[in-house]
Amino acid sequence: MKISGSYLMPFPQERTYSLLQDPEMLAQCMPGCEQLVKIADDIYQMKLKMALAAISGQFDGKISIADRIPPASFRLIVEGTGKIGFMKGNGLLNLSPRDNGTDVIYDGDVQVGGTMAAVGQRLIDTTARMMIKRFFDKLCEIAKG
Amino acid sequence: MATTIAKPESLIGKRIKRKEDPRLITGTATYTDDIQLPGMHHASILRSPYGAARIRGIDISKAVQHPGVVAVFTGADTKDVGPVPCGASLPGLRVPHHYILAIDRTYFAGHPVAVVVATDRYVARDAVDLIEVDWEPLAAVADPEKAIAPGAPAVHPEWPDNTAFTFHQENGEVDKVFAEAEVVVKQRITSQRLIPSPMEPRGVVADYKSGDKTMTIYSSSQIPHLMRNLVAQMLGIADNRLRVVAPEVGGGFGCKLNVYAEEALMGFISMRTGKPVKWIESRRENFLTTIHGRGHVDYFEIAARKDGTILGMKLKLIQDLGAYHQLLTPAIPTLSVLMMPGIYDFKNIRADIVGAFTNCVPTDAYRGAGRPEATHGIERMVDMLAAELKMDPAEIRLKNFVPNEAFPYATATGLTYDSGNYAEPLKKALGIVDYRKLRADQAKARAEGRLMGIGISTYGEICAMGPSPATPAGGWESASVRIEPSGKVTVMTGIKPQGQGEETTFAQIAADELGLSIDDITVLHGDTMVVQYGIGTFGSRATAIGGTALYLALQDLKAKIKKFGGMLLNSEDVSFGGGECVCNKSGKTVALSQIAGASYRAMKLPPNTDPGLVATNFWEPPNFTFPFGAHIAVTEVDRDTGAVQITRYVAVDDCGKIINPMIVTGQVHGGVVQGMGQALFEHGIYDENAQLISGEFMDYTIPKATMVPWIETDHTVTPSPVNPLGVKGVGEAGTIGASPAIVNSVVDALSPLGVKHLDMPLSPESIWKVLQGGRA
Amino acid sequence: MIAQNFAYAAPSNLAEALKLLADPGAKVLAGGMSLIPMMKLRLAAPETLVDLRRVPGLNSIREEGGRLRIGAMVTHYELESTPLVRAKCPLLAEAAANIGDVQVRNMGTLGGSVAHADPAADYPASLRALEATVTLASASGERTVAIADFLIDTFTTALEPGELVVEIGVPIEASGTGVSYKKCLQPASGFALVGVAARIAKTAGKITLARIGVTGLSGNSYRATGVERKLEGTTGADIASAAGGIADGIDANSDIHASADYRRHLARVYASRAITEALARAQ
Repeated sequence: MKISGSYLMPFPQERTYSLLQDPEMLAQCMPGCEQLVKIADDIYQMKLKMALAAISGQFDGKISIADRIPPASFRLIVEGTGKIGFMKGNGLLNLSPRDNGTDVIYDGDVQVGGTMAAVGQRLIDTTARMMIKRFFDKLCEIAKG
Repeated sequence: MATTIAKPESLIGKRIKRKEDPRLITGTATYTDDIQLPGMHHASILRSPYGAARIRGIDISKAVQHPGVVAVFTGADTKDVGPVPCGASLPGLRVPHHYILAIDRTYFAGHPVAVVVATDRYVARDAVDLIEVDWEPLAAVADPEKAIAPGAPAVHPEWPDNTAFTFHQENGEVDKVFAEAEVVVKQRITSQRLIPSPMEPRGVVADYKSGDKTMTIYSSSQIPHLMRNLVAQMLGIADNRLRVVAPEVGGGFGCKLNVYAEEALMGFISMRTGKPVKWIESRRENFLTTIHGRGHVDYFEIAARKDGTILGMKLKLIQDLGAYHQLLTPAIPTLSVLMMPGIYDFKNIRADIVGAFTNCVPTDAYRGAGRPEATHGIERMVDMLAAELKMDPAEIRLKNFVPNEAFPYATATGLTYDSGNYAEPLKKALGIVDYRKLRADQAKARAEGRLMGIGISTYGEICAMGPSPATPAGGWESASVRIEPSGKVTVMTGIKPQGQGEETTFAQIAADELGLSIDDITVLHGDTMVVQYGIGTFGSRATAIGGTALYLALQDLKAKIKKFGGMLLNSEDVSFGGGECVCNKSGKTVALSQIAGASYRAMKLPPNTDPGLVATNFWEPPNFTFPFGAHIAVTEVDRDTGAVQITRYVAVDDCGKIINPMIVTGQVHGGVVQGMGQALFEHGIYDENAQLISGEFMDYTIPKATMVPWIETDHTVTPSPVNPLGVKGVGEAGTIGASPAIVNSVVDALSPLGVKHLDMPLSPESIWKVLQGGRA
Repeated sequence: MIAQNFAYAAPSNLAEALKLLADPGAKVLAGGMSLIPMMKLRLAAPETLVDLRRVPGLNSIREEGGRLRIGAMVTHYELESTPLVRAKCPLLAEAAANIGDVQVRNMGTLGGSVAHADPAADYPASLRALEATVTLASASGERTVAIADFLIDTFTTALEPGELVVEIGVPIEASGTGVSYKKCLQPASGFALVGVAARIAKTAGKITLARIGVTGLSGNSYRATGVERKLEGTTGADIASAAGGIADGIDANSDIHASADYRRHLARVYASRAITEALARAQ
């Protein structure tokens, strides 16, 4: 499923670019992220606990960063598997400066499989967008101090 | 003293309430899940979450240690069990070895990988979550056209072109008529994957007795005897030591015309553990692992003269087979080709099938099995031709029907249509809707800016499957009738009803022939230890073939009754009727109960006559039967939303002679609703990674009572000469007639906007997009 | 379709229920029409279900202080059929009648639905148009929040851990106010692709009050205040133009059942239908 959107971060482009790739920030801001360990350059192992309404699930996954063109764009790949299914998100993030910050424009797709895929079709898009928004909200909140 | 015997009123043609209903509606029927055996274990199956994946390793240690777990088996344990069988054969068919549990690779989401056996079903399910599989997801392909295109991921690495078979059939001078035709219309038409969804999912109980090496398998099946033969082979046990019982079966629609991995898997488990074991399919598993139906991409071309005379037809058919062949998977599209000419009189046809492997659950027979796809295509093409020639769709059909004097009619595909009067149902349906007035109403509606459509489909189908040479495991059917010492009658039939009501219709036949009350008759089925042998229920065959076997067994029995009756009456001139024998000279009578008692006590036997009143008949039909009919759907499309409303639905079917009109109407209703489901709602969708994303009733729309319009039914009666009952079959008719009637109607509604074709399902959004764009 | 083991408790008073819910592994059972299917698929695996059906007072409907106060455990069927609700808050009765099917309406509850905050649930459109309030109880007492502050996002509410929805408050509809709830349902699930609730009051031919709530279109339900402003003070002659703005600035959902574009379009169509009907019903 394609997913795209944008988020205005109230920081200059360079700062936004580095915030978005800071593993500590990622660990704090990815909804449900319980652990993030670097396993190679630009590759991190992740433990995620998703809780949404009554749905809950543990995921083991990976985050990778690729195709860096600082400070303009990079690709973020998030994968996770658990008992209730698996997910893979692959998105290109484009950063462009604005007067009051930096517009982060994301464009990618989300694959979901297993039980989650079968029963949550009407919620995948909604949920993915909400998670992305939560991520950015939290990131901005922490970065602002 | 002479008695006047009043000829009892025939039960044939009567709306008799179904004998099976009291147990069904009071909840006292026994389904597979109701079976409880002493010491029985429960099984739960781990399935692949991926469309395609390599299994790098399986760790079952945690599951094995889980309290209550009896055993855990993987593909390594079951690899010597015979493969899930494919009963169809085609020249050059590639048949992948279908292990009952995956070995090192999975081929579709839902593919069974391991099984946990435990003391209860909750423990078994819990332990499934403790099995750890090291998966390597692989590229998968779900779209059949993409699968056969170069560069697609190979479903089976040994066949990188994903082509299981190709099949060609041709008759007449196709190139010539297309070259000379005044008009040629071409269209790509799809029949989307459908998910059968019986109320009762599958289920298996296996019970092996090591002491005498016998096995009983209970399975929700349409074909208990064939299952026995095939599962015995898979497990390497003798067929006479395997008893298959199909208890109450809560709907099948073809998806239980199969042998799945789970029957042999439960048999294997019971042999290994020495205990009975039960597995009941969850609804989620039913979506993922029970066969789907349809899955066609068809390229049709039709050639005609300007006056509307159809000259020939070409078809390129791409069948989405899924990852494996289930029992009849590759044969289903060949049925589409057989029915390609429909009920029209033309002899030039060319068909090419490509069977495409995809990383999806296999397709196989689903109510109609190949004929709905064919009929949908033909009926759409005939409508498109009519539109091209600006002819009325009723007129073009009447012009091209096989004429009444042509029967028996040899078709371009090698069939012989038994009997027909094709114009009659259409004329009747046109009369019911008052077609001229309806078209006038439509003109008025259009003038008001409303989108009203009238859709006609006239279908023919191939039923009573089938003569044995055309059927992989034999196409005959059997019946055994035993008049018990009391005079009550027990019928054992080889068919296996799943809601079609043959316990009633067969009792009507037997009661009628014997002059008894319907309550005197008991019809038994679905147990290989009770029933002599049989083929089963599918392909609208039960009454036409099984009913005929019963009828013929009853004739043998009546002759024997007369012999015993004559002996008791001391007369050679006796007749039998109304449940008694009467001496035609003296008028003395003897009741069937007395005759039956005498036949078993056997104190005295008529000359050359054995004791007892039992007769068995195995009947081989000389031909298929070919029911037909005409359906008309009136629809209105909401301009604002694209939503389709069926405002009127008329079905006039000719299924030959009718035994129980209430049951026939029920079959038509159910069939029409399923066809409506395909036309408007149902869609088995796999995404590009071969994940089934319409995998629950939250996302897969089956029509519900509130979504279904009033269905007006009527009939014409053209008896079949193929069997003495004159019946043709009606189980699939509604499904076959409905989808083209509805789609033709909606296309007609949108035709003022230039719309010529729409693919199913006609979702409001797809129509809204057409309304936005103006044409499709 | 076999749930994981769980404990079941049916407390007989609110204090006991709140005590049980202090356990983070506990989950409220308030009908179970969403929770139980998720448990059967093992998407949800609560350790304890706290069934509220025996808690007294949670299934009452009463008129108090110019408002209807509806207990959290009142079922959809009760809302749809209770004469008091039909007379005093017909919009809520209409919304309830549009939910799922008969079985769901017999089991599912208002409080359960509101606390679940499904983005396609039927109630939020009406509750927002009614400017409803939600009363929450916890061990430390009760608080009442506006529905707009309660429904935060997809499946996300203002409920704090250990807190429970106990009551929903809606205004008594002034006589003459016209209401309507129009829903385009997704035929498989019965959820709303888009649902629009409208409340309209007129005085001397002019619209004096317009309240429009929307559900299903996006990750959260909302009040279409822009549409309301376009209607208020007018005669309602140009509904289409007002309804045309129903999806302005809204990030619409997209799934296999309806694309974002189609949902936005449906929102305009159903807004127009709901407003037209509400206006026709207004006196």
